[in-house]
Amino acid sequence: MAILEEPIKEVLTLKNYIGGEWAESEGEIIDVVNPATCKVIAKVPISTKDEINMAVEAAKEAFPEWRRTPPLARARCLFRLKELMEERFEELSRIQTMEHGKTIDESRGETRRGIEMVEVATGIPSLMMGYNLEDVAAGIDEYVIRQPIGVFGIIPPFNFPFMVPLWFAPYAVATGNCIVIKPSSEDPISQAKVVEMVEEAGFPPGVWNVVNGGRTVVSGMLDHLDIEGICFVGSTPVARDIIYRGCGETGKKVIAQAGAKNFLLVMPDADLERTIAACMTSFYGNTGQRCLSGANLVVVGEGLKEHEYDAFYRKVVDAFIDAASRIRVGYGLDESVQMGPLRDKSKKERVTGFIETGIEEGARLRLDGRNVKLVGDWPHTCFLNPTAFEDVTPDMTIGKEEIFGPVASIMRARSFGEAIEMIHSNPYGNAASIFTSSGKWAREFQYGVQCGNIGINIGIVAPMAFFPFSGMKDSFFGTLHGQGQEAIRFFTESKVVIQRWF
Amino acid sequence: MEEPTTASAIISFAEKLEDDSSEFYEELAEMYLQDRETFLAFAEEGKKNKVLLTRTYQETITDAIEACFSFRGLKLSNYLAEMTLTEGMSYSNALKMAIELEEKASNFYSDVAEQSKSLLATIPRAFRKVAERRNDRKLKLKSLLSSIS
Repeated sequence: MAILEEPIKEVLTLKNYIGGEWAESEGEIIDVVNPATCKVIAKVPISTKDEINMAVEAAKEAFPEWRRTPPLARARCLFRLKELMEERFEELSRIQTMEHGKTIDESRGETRRGIEMVEVATGIPSLMMGYNLEDVAAGIDEYVIRQPIGVFGIIPPFNFPFMVPLWFAPYAVATGNCIVIKPSSEDPISQAKVVEMVEEAGFPPGVWNVVNGGRTVVSGMLDHLDIEGICFVGSTPVARDIIYRGCGETGKKVIAQAGAKNFLLVMPDADLERTIAACMTSFYGNTGQRCLSGANLVVVGEGLKEHEYDAFYRKVVDAFIDAASRIRVGYGLDESVQMGPLRDKSKKERVTGFIETGIEEGARLRLDGRNVKLVGDWPHTCFLNPTAFEDVTPDMTIGKEEIFGPVASIMRARSFGEAIEMIHSNPYGNAASIFTSSGKWAREFQYGVQCGNIGINIGIVAPMAFFPFSGMKDSFFGTLHGQGQEAIRFFTESKVVIQRWF
Repeated sequence: MEEPTTASAIISFAEKLEDDSSEFYEELAEMYLQDRETFLAFAEEGKKNKVLLTRTYQETITDAIEACFSFRGLKLSNYLAEMTLTEGMSYSNALKMAIELEEKASNFYSDVAEQSKSLLATIPRAFRKVAERRNDRKLKLKSLLSSIS
């Protein structure tokens, strides 16, 4: 099938956006590579400490005027931003496919999710309202007002280059704060495009800044005393460092969304056909590179006799393997493709390492994605095909660690209780799902499972923009989450006023 | 891409179907002036269909739905009709060609509506609406055909 037209025709040279100006960096320049074609599509700077300091300074300078801008006027900037995103919907989506590798359906889904964040934040005149009570004592009234805080830093990962910064940015600026975003240097183009639209939408200079780079920029953000809070999405060790060391020492507010190892339970009464379809998206969507991806598929034999359980287990596994083996892998701009490459070669090597470890530890490799078969003639550098193991136990490396690739670990649990114990034995608590026709099991599951995002017959438990993106245990560090009302609370201070007039 | 599985491939096929159909009716309107207004209305409706389908897809697709795994066993060649009008073609033959086009298009939209039930409700609803419009066109074309025979 023909490849959709690529929106990036020539190698782009990315700049920082500081104080409403496009600024060239003095830092080293690195390549941004399309993982499907292995062609360089952009050059991105690794900015210096001075440059992040300049961005924070610009944001700090813009803050007093921006916070005095009426919420309705701030919302109008967001309405314009949303309209521009709608106009450029297809371009933005194809860019994500080019810089990240995901399929065009997945990219469009990501664009939509990002736009939804902006849409929700346009409701800021209502969302930011405080509350009051008359006559808390004789002639005395008390009320709460929500006030913006200052400058926030946003540090997103590589796996959703357009959407993840928007989990935070629209809410931050809607509430009257100013922001500095450091996009992933692996796929920074989407955020450069967002900033083009921010500029066109009429945000005042300094409200929305982007500084490209790596660790120097991150350290600069964490150390900077004028940054009031950090929103981070990435691995658990880094998240822990950010909240307890970097931000702990400088007293910043933190949202740190971290790693995951998500379990999907299949109960004997599940609708198998729809369960398997949901599992394909969950385990192999975005090439397994998302914190909500399914990792461990647990086939539960609750209420079944031994031979019935064996038959049920075999039916689920065979259907899963059959569907996974038919997934078409290739360049995401080919509309027939269902799974793209990993983001880069090192990520492929990391996943391959997990596959080798799984074999060494005794799991049975049922589908070996190292035998790469592609739709189209593309370099195999970053590609793997879907992989699935059977006979995995929760204590095996592939059963407990986050792989972040297209690898499914299939497990057996004789009872519902045993399956729940498996989930709880894992340190992560991002998401868990159950596939069942029983309200009882669904209710037990949602009630008891210690994970922040629970799916009932849902493979990817991605909260909508108006709900918090939750997470527990080693998957989340902080108090308030991104998105929706919790984001509004995170980006504001509650000030209490008690008043009496003599 | 004989049997597409992705939502993107289905929408692209639908968009092309609407574009080609509109072009076909514009040509019909040039060649057979007696029902020019009807054919131009069909061509205009095709443009609206395309907007409806594209907008519905873009507004409802998210990373969480099974967009890459939604469709199975749809042989696209079954839905393709001949749309080449030749010089000197009789009006009745042209109408028969148009009826076949509408028949196949209606079947396509009905089939994808059925298979997209598991997606958000707006998607099968949009497909059903276009299937109905295509079916209405077929009835209108049949009545034109019977009026000349």
